[in-house]
Amino acid sequence: MLPELLRPEPLVEGSISAAVLDERVLAFPERRPPRAWFVAFAAAASCMSLGFALIGYTIVTGIGVWGNNRPVAWAFDIINFVFWIGIGHAGTLISAILFLFRARWRNGLARFAEAMTIFAVMTAGLFPLIHLGRPWLAYWLFPYPNQRGLWPNFRSPLMWDVFAVSTYFSVSILFWYLGLLPDLASLRDRTTSRARRILYTILSLGWRGSAGHWRHYEKAYLLLAGLATGLVLSVHSVVSFDFAVSVVPGWHMTIFPPYFVVGAIFSGFAMVVLVLAVVRRVMALEDLITLRHLELGNKVILGCSCLMGYSYLCEAFTAWYSMNPYIHHTFLQYISGTYGWAGWLAIACNTLVPQIFWLRRARRSLPVMAIVGVAALAGMWFERFTIIVISLYHDFLPSSWLVYKPTFVDYGILLGSFGFFFTCVLLFSRVLPVIATSEVKGSLHD
Amino acid sequence: MTENIFGVVGLFEDPAALLKAVPLVQSKRLGKLEAYTPYPVHGLPGVLGLSRSPLGGMVLVMGALGTLTAFLFQWWMNSVDYPLVVGGKDPSSWQAFVPIMFEVTVLFAAFTAGLGMLLLLNRLPDLWHPFLLSKSCAEVTRDKFALSIEAESGSLDVAAAQAILRQAGALSVEVVAFPAPASKVSLNALLALSAAGALTCALAGAGMYGAVKLFPVLPPMSHMLVQPRLDAQQRGMRPPVAGTVARGRMPYLGALGNPLPRTKAVLELGRKVFSNNCLICHGPLANGTPILTAAYGAKPANLQAKKFLSYTDGEIYHAIMHGKNAMPALGLGFTEDERWAVVHYVRALQRAQHAQDTDLP
Repeated sequence: MLPELLRPEPLVEGSISAAVLDERVLAFPERRPPRAWFVAFAAAASCMSLGFALIGYTIVTGIGVWGNNRPVAWAFDIINFVFWIGIGHAGTLISAILFLFRARWRNGLARFAEAMTIFAVMTAGLFPLIHLGRPWLAYWLFPYPNQRGLWPNFRSPLMWDVFAVSTYFSVSILFWYLGLLPDLASLRDRTTSRARRILYTILSLGWRGSAGHWRHYEKAYLLLAGLATGLVLSVHSVVSFDFAVSVVPGWHMTIFPPYFVVGAIFSGFAMVVLVLAVVRRVMALEDLITLRHLELGNKVILGCSCLMGYSYLCEAFTAWYSMNPYIHHTFLQYISGTYGWAGWLAIACNTLVPQIFWLRRARRSLPVMAIVGVAALAGMWFERFTIIVISLYHDFLPSSWLVYKPTFVDYGILLGSFGFFFTCVLLFSRVLPVIATSEVKGSLHD
Repeated sequence: MTENIFGVVGLFEDPAALLKAVPLVQSKRLGKLEAYTPYPVHGLPGVLGLSRSPLGGMVLVMGALGTLTAFLFQWWMNSVDYPLVVGGKDPSSWQAFVPIMFEVTVLFAAFTAGLGMLLLLNRLPDLWHPFLLSKSCAEVTRDKFALSIEAESGSLDVAAAQAILRQAGALSVEVVAFPAPASKVSLNALLALSAAGALTCALAGAGMYGAVKLFPVLPPMSHMLVQPRLDAQQRGMRPPVAGTVARGRMPYLGALGNPLPRTKAVLELGRKVFSNNCLICHGPLANGTPILTAAYGAKPANLQAKKFLSYTDGEIYHAIMHGKNAMPALGLGFTEDERWAVVHYVRALQRAQHAQDTDLP
C-alpha cells in the first residue's frame, strides 16, 4: 500500500452504501425542492422569458433591430453560438474522454456535465437559427429534393457546422439517455405513485439489469465514448472552420481548430465547476461531489489556460511572421483601438487569472473557484467577441470600416440565453437524478 | 402447476457472493440461469457462459456505411446533379466532403451502438417482463444481486430450484410467476373510447372554426420587407454610376429614344413593314379597324387611342419585340432597323390622325 501522502483521496467521503446513495440522490425527483430552487428558477425563467420575447421581436421585425451592420455582419449571435457550444464540450470530455482514460472521478460528475452539454448545445442552436433572419426557412439547410432543383453547398464550412452540431446534439442525447436507463429503472422501482411508475417504466424501457443486457450495454457505452471523443474534438474544430476557411485577416489561421477546442474545454470546465460548487451545497451532496472533484476540474482549467496562452502567442507569432499588413493591423486592433479593452480582458481572464490554481489552497477554495470560473466565462465570451467583431470591423477597405454597437436586443438575448440554460439545468435537477447512481455504485464496492 | 412459473430468483448481498453461487447452481442444470445486477459485474458474463457482444462489428459496418453514404450523397448532389465550382476547384473534388463524411460516420455508428444495443440485442422495450413485476426487481435496482433459474420449455422444478439457491447462500428466494393475462377489453369501453374521440374531434373542429371566425387572421410574415435596416441593406459600398447597364443587356424602355433619323427612306421602310405585318390587325390607319376581324378572337388595339399616344418609342418597340396581350412577339422576324422604322411610321400615323394647327403649312 502507498504511504499516506501518495494515496489518492477517496472519491466519496465517509462510507456510504448503495441504498443510502439511492436515498440521497434518487429522492430529489420525489420531493418538493427547497426554497432556493424556486428562487433560482424564478430568476432564470424571467431571464429566459425576456430573451424569448426579444427573439420574437427580432423574428417579427427582422434582424435590423440588432446592432449588426456592414462590415460586422456577425456579432452577438455568432459570439453566443460559439460560446455556448464551447460550454457543452466539458460535458462530453468528462463523460467520454475521461471514461476512456478510466478516470473514475468522472463518475460523480458525468450525469450533470452531460446534461449541461445538452442544454448548452440547445442554447447554442438557437443562435444560428435566429441569425438566419428568416428562421422559418431553416429547413433549407438540409439536403432534401426540392422543386428548385438545388442542393446545399457541401463545400461550405457552414454546412459542415449544420452536420457537426446536429450530430453532436443527437449523439449527446443518446449517450445521456443510455446512462440514465439504469437510474430510471431505480426510480421506477422506488416510487409509490402509480402515474410515476408508469412514466418511469416507459422511460426506462423496462430495463431490468440482466447480465446479458449489461454485457451489450457496457460495450455500447464504451463504443459511444470512443465515438463521442472523436465527435467532440471535431465539433469545435468545424466551428473554427467557419472562420479559418475564410480569408478575413485574423481568422485565416491553421491554429484555429485546436485553439477553439481548448478554449471550449476551458470555458466548459469553468461552467461545470461553478455550477457544481453551487449544486453540491444546495442539494447537500458535498460528500459525493467532493472538493477533490472540484480540484481536479480546476487542474483541467489550469492546463487549458496555459494552452490558451500558448495559442495566443502562436496567433501573434503567425501574424507577425506573415508580413501581411492586413493581419498586422487586425492584431494591433485586438489590443488597441476601439475594442482594445476586450482583447486585454480576454488575455487577462483566460491566461493570467487561472494561474492562481498552481496553489493547492486556491484550487480547493470555493470563493477562488467562483471568481476564476466567472472570470474564465467572461474571458472566453470576450475572446469570441475579439475574434469576431474586431476582425470584422476593420476589413480590407478603410472606406467600409465601421464601429459595432450592440443594441438592447442583443444584450437581452444574451441574458436570455443564460436564463434558458439555467432554466433547463434547474428543471433537470428537479426531475432526474443528478448523479449517475449505477456508475457510483459500481465504484463503491472496490 | 408449473405452467405459469417464470422462474425462481435468489438475492445475494454482493457481487462476490453471486459469482461464488453461480457454479453450484449451474451444476444442477435445473433451467436457464440469468443474473440481475444494479451495475455491470465483471466476470459474470464469463461465468454464465455468455458470448462476447457482437456490437463492435455492427458498429464498424454501419460506420463504414455512414462514410460511404455521406460521400455518395455529397458527391452526387454537388458534383453530378448540380455541379458546383467552389474556389475554382474541379466540381468533383472530394476533399471538402471529408468533415461531413466524418460526422455522418459518427452519427451512423453512434446510433447503431445505442439503438442496436437496446432494440436489437437487448430486445427492449420490454415493459411486461415477469421479473419487473417481482419483489426482487426493486432490490436489484437498488443494491442486491439476483441469480434466477428460469423455466425452459415451460417446466421448472420449483422446489429443487429454491433449495439450491438457499444452499448457495441466497438471502431470500422468490418464485416469480408470469403475470396473469390481461382481461379482454369490453365492447362498452371501446364504444366509450370512440365516443370520446369523436367528441374531442368535434370540439376541436368547432373551436378552431370559431377562433378563425372570431379573430381576424394575422397578416403573413412580410419576409423582412419592412424593417429599419432595409435601406442600409440596399446601399452598396460603391453604388454604380447612374445609367449603368448590366453586361449583355441592351435596354430600350423609355430610357433611349429612336436611334433612326426621321427621314423619308426610313418612313418608307416603316410603311412597307407595317403594311406587310401590322396592318392586317391594326388597320391601315392603325386605329384598330382591322381587315381580319371575325376570324380573330381578340379586338386588336387602337393605336390612335390616348393610351398609345402617350407611349414612349421604347414602349412601342417593346410591344413589337415581345408582343402584348394577344399580340404575338413579332420582333425577331425583323432587323433592328426595321423595328425602329415601324415605330417611326406608327408615330407618323398617329400624328396624321391628331394633327394640330401648327402642322398646317
